Amino acid sequence: MRYFWGRVGLFVLTLWAAVTLNFILPRLMPGSPADAAIAKLSQNGPVSPAMRASIEAQLGVPSGSVWSQYLSYLGQVVHFDFGVSYSYFPQPVSSLIGAALPWTLVLVGSVTVIAFVVGTLLGVVAAWRRGTVLDTVPTVGGQFLSAFPYFWIALLLLFFLGYVAGWFPTSGAYSQTATPNWSLSFFGDALDHAILPGLTILITSFGGWIIGMRNTMVNTLGEDYVTFAEANGLRPRSVAMRYAARNALLPQFTSFGMVLGGVVGGSLLVETVFAYPGVGLLLFHAVTNQDYPLMQALFLIITVSVLIANFLVDILYGVLDPRTRQ
Amino acid sequence: MNKSRARSRALVAVVSAASLLALSACSVHTSSSGGSSGTTASGSLLFGADGGNPTFVRDFNPFSSNARTGAHYMYEPLEVVNSIEDKATPWLATGDKVVDPTTIQYTIRQGVKWSDGKPFSASDVVYTFDLIKKNPALDTLGQWQSISSVSASGDTVTFHLNGPDVPDATIIDQQIIVPQHIWQNVSDPVTWADPNPVATGPYVVGSFAPNEYTMKKNTSYWQADKVAAETLVLPASNTPLQLVKNGYDWAYSFIDNVDTTWVGANKQHNTYWFPPGGTIALLPNLTKAPFNNVDFRRGLSEALNRNTIATDAEEGYVKAAGQSGLLLPNQQSWLNPALPDQGLISQDTKQALQDFAKAGYSSKGGKLVGPSGAQLHLTITTANGYTDWLRGVQAVQSQLQALGIAVTIDQPQPAAYTQAENNGDFDLLMGAFGGSGSVYQDFNTLMSSGFAKPVGTAASGNFERFNDAQADQLLGQLKSATSVGDQQKIVDQLQQLMYDQVPVVSLFYGGLWGLFSDKSFTGWPSADDPYATPATWTENSLLILTHLKKAS
Repeated sequence: MRYFWGRVGLFVLTLWAAVTLNFILPRLMPGSPADAAIAKLSQNGPVSPAMRASIEAQLGVPSGSVWSQYLSYLGQVVHFDFGVSYSYFPQPVSSLIGAALPWTLVLVGSVTVIAFVVGTLLGVVAAWRRGTVLDTVPTVGGQFLSAFPYFWIALLLLFFLGYVAGWFPTSGAYSQTATPNWSLSFFGDALDHAILPGLTILITSFGGWIIGMRNTMVNTLGEDYVTFAEANGLRPRSVAMRYAARNALLPQFTSFGMVLGGVVGGSLLVETVFAYPGVGLLLFHAVTNQDYPLMQALFLIITVSVLIANFLVDILYGVLDPRTRQ
Repeated sequence: MNKSRARSRALVAVVSAASLLALSACSVHTSSSGGSSGTTASGSLLFGADGGNPTFVRDFNPFSSNARTGAHYMYEPLEVVNSIEDKATPWLATGDKVVDPTTIQYTIRQGVKWSDGKPFSASDVVYTFDLIKKNPALDTLGQWQSISSVSASGDTVTFHLNGPDVPDATIIDQQIIVPQHIWQNVSDPVTWADPNPVATGPYVVGSFAPNEYTMKKNTSYWQADKVAAETLVLPASNTPLQLVKNGYDWAYSFIDNVDTTWVGANKQHNTYWFPPGGTIALLPNLTKAPFNNVDFRRGLSEALNRNTIATDAEEGYVKAAGQSGLLLPNQQSWLNPALPDQGLISQDTKQALQDFAKAGYSSKGGKLVGPSGAQLHLTITTANGYTDWLRGVQAVQSQLQALGIAVTIDQPQPAAYTQAENNGDFDLLMGAFGGSGSVYQDFNTLMSSGFAKPVGTAASGNFERFNDAQADQLLGQLKSATSVGDQQKIVDQLQQLMYDQVPVVSLFYGGLWGLFSDKSFTGWPSADDPYATPATWTENSLLILTHLKKAS
C-alpha cells in the first residue's frame, strides 16, 4: 500500500510540474498570436496597417499579468475548459480536439497494437529459430525498414500506390464529399483512406518490436528453466511460447505501455503528408501559429496520457514483480 | 505572394518537390481518373482557392481572418478594385463622386436583392459602416481612421472625412456590405460563424463537407446573366500533385516548373499568369548606422544583380523590381519618365564600392572594412519556411560577399519574424510592400513617418522607419489632390525620392500565382487582358466569376 501511495504522490507532483511547464513553454516562443496570424496573411501579399489592427482586436491577445493568466489557466485545467483557439478563431479548443482525437486514436492506436503483436510474434520466431532465414529476414529487414524516416516511406507510398497506381486515396481521412457519420459505407471509406498512412506507421515501427522481443527472448532461452523444460521433453512450441516468450514479454509490455501513452500525440509527419485530420497535424498547426490555448490543451492531453500510461505500468509492475515493492 | 507558402514548410516542400520531380518523368499517368467529384458535371468549376487545416470549418463570416474563401463570392463591395489596372468597377454602388477633398458620395444600385429576397438599400450600407465602427475588430480596412460620419438620403450615401483624403475612395470602395435585417440580430458579430450567409453576390453555399464544399449560382443575382459557372467546387486539399492530377479549372498556387507540371498536364487547355502582386525588398533599419547613411544604401542597391536574385528566388516567374516604388507593369501609367531605365538599377560594383567608401567603408585585402578597422558584417532577417525568399536572400548574400561584406542570414519562425519586423528588431529585413491597388496607399504605408514607431514599439507600416519631411509633405498633398494631373506631379516626385533616398532596396516582384484551364470556361484574365488579378481570396474574384463564358 505504501508503494501505491508513494506512486500516487509522485504522479500528482509530476502532473503539476507538467501542467506548469505547459503554461510557461509556449510563452517563451517569440512573437504573439496576432504576429502569427499576420505572417500567415502576408503570404498573400503585403498586409495593410488596418488589417493588422483589426486582427489584433479580433484575437484580443492574452491580457492581464502572467500570474493572473497562470491562475485562470489552472482553473481552466481543473474544469477541462480550454477556451477559444486563436488560429481557428472563433472555434473552441475542445471541439477542435474532439474532432481530431478519434482519427488519431483509431489510426495510430490500432496500427501501434498491430505493430506490437506482429513484431513481437516475429521476434519470438526469430529468437527460437535464430540463425535461420526466419531470424535474419525479419531482424535485418525490420531494422532496415525502421531506419527509414517516416515521411520518406510516406512519400514513396503516396507516389507509387496513391498517385501512379491509383489504388488508394492520397489525402484526407475520408473522401471529398463525405461527412463523418456512423454508416457502414462511411466506415469503408475511412478504412480506405487509413491504409496508406497506417501502412507507413506499421512499416517503420514493427522492426523495433522484433529486435526488442528477439533480444530478451534469446536471453531467456539461456535460462536454466528453459533447458529443464526441454530436458523434460516438452513440445518445442510450448517451451517457446509458454516458458520463454511469456517471461521475455515483461520488458516488451513496459515499452508498449509507454508507446500507447504517446499515441495521443499522433504521428505528425504521417498526418502531414497525408493531410490526415489528427492530433499531430493540429499540434503542428497550433505551434506554428502561436495558438497558446490549443497548444496548452494538446500538450496537457499528451503529457497526461503519457503520465497515466507510466503510472499504470508502475502499478502493474508492482503487481507482477514483488521485488519492486520492497 | 505565395499562398502555398503556408504549407511550404520544409516537409511539404519536400513532398511537392519530390512528387513533381518524379511527375515530370511520368507524365503518362496524368489522365484524371478517379479524381475529384468536381471534374465531371458540366457547368461546374473545380476551384483550388480555399485550403482546410486540414479540414474545413463552416465559417463564412466575411470579416473573420479564418473565414472560408467562399465568403468573398457572396458578399459584395461598393466597387471592386482591380489592383492590376488601378481601376474600380462600380458594383453595389453605380459610381462615386468626390464632392470636395473631405466629402465622397456613392450612388447605390437599384434592384439588387439579398439572397433571401429582401431588397438591398442604402440603409444596409450605412448599417455596415456603423457595425464596423462599433466593432473595430471587423474594420479590416481601417475605414474609421479617415471617416468622420456616414449618412444616407434616398439612394445616395455620403461620407464625410476627417480631413482632405481623396485616395480614401479606394478604401471605401472595397467595403463589403452585410444585410441589416440579419446582422442586427447577431449578438456578437466578431465571433459569429455565419454558416448560411444572406448576401447579394453571385453564389450561395451549396453542400458543405469537411473535405469539400460547393457553391451554387444565386439565381436572383442582379447580374445573373453574366455568371456562367453553375457550381463552384472547393476541395480542402489542393496539393500540387492534386492540382495536376484532378483537372482543376482555376487554382492559386506556386508550382515548380510550371511549364512541365501544370501546362504539361493538359497542353491544350492549361495556362498560367503570374502578374506582380507586391514588391519584395530589403528593408534597412534606418534608425541604425550604417543604414541611416544614404550613400551606404545606394552602395547596397548598386552592389546587387536583381535579375539573378529574381531568377534564383522565383524560378524566373517574376521580374526584377525597379527603384521607383511602383509595381510594374501594373502601375506603368504612373511611372516618372525622368527616371533612367524605368527606375531599374543595374549592378555596378565599381560605383557601389565608391558609395560605400563615401559612407566610410573601403576595400582592404578583399574585405570591406569600416572606420573601426573591422570587416562590415550584415545580418539579413527572413521568415523561416519562405523558401523562395530564402533563395533570394542567398543570392544577395553571395553578391555582397563578393564585395568583401560578411553576411549572416537569420531565419526566425514566421510569428517571430513579424514581431521583428513590427518592432524594428533587424539590420536588413526581407519584406514586401505595395500592391494595394492605390498608388497613394502604397507610398503612404511605405514612407509616411506617421507609421514609423520608435524601435521596440510595434509599427504597422513603414517598418524601415523612414522619416523624411519631404515625403510627408508630398503624401499630404497627394491626399488632397483631386485631378489626375496634380496627382501625377506628386507621384513623380515620390518616385524620385524613392530613387534618390533608397529608403528600401527593391529586389523583385512577388507573383500572384494564377493557374487556369479553358477546357470548361474561357475568359480568364491574362497579361493581354488584365481585367482582374488571379487572387482568389478577395472580392477581386467577382470580376472573374462574372466574366467567364462556357467553353463551346
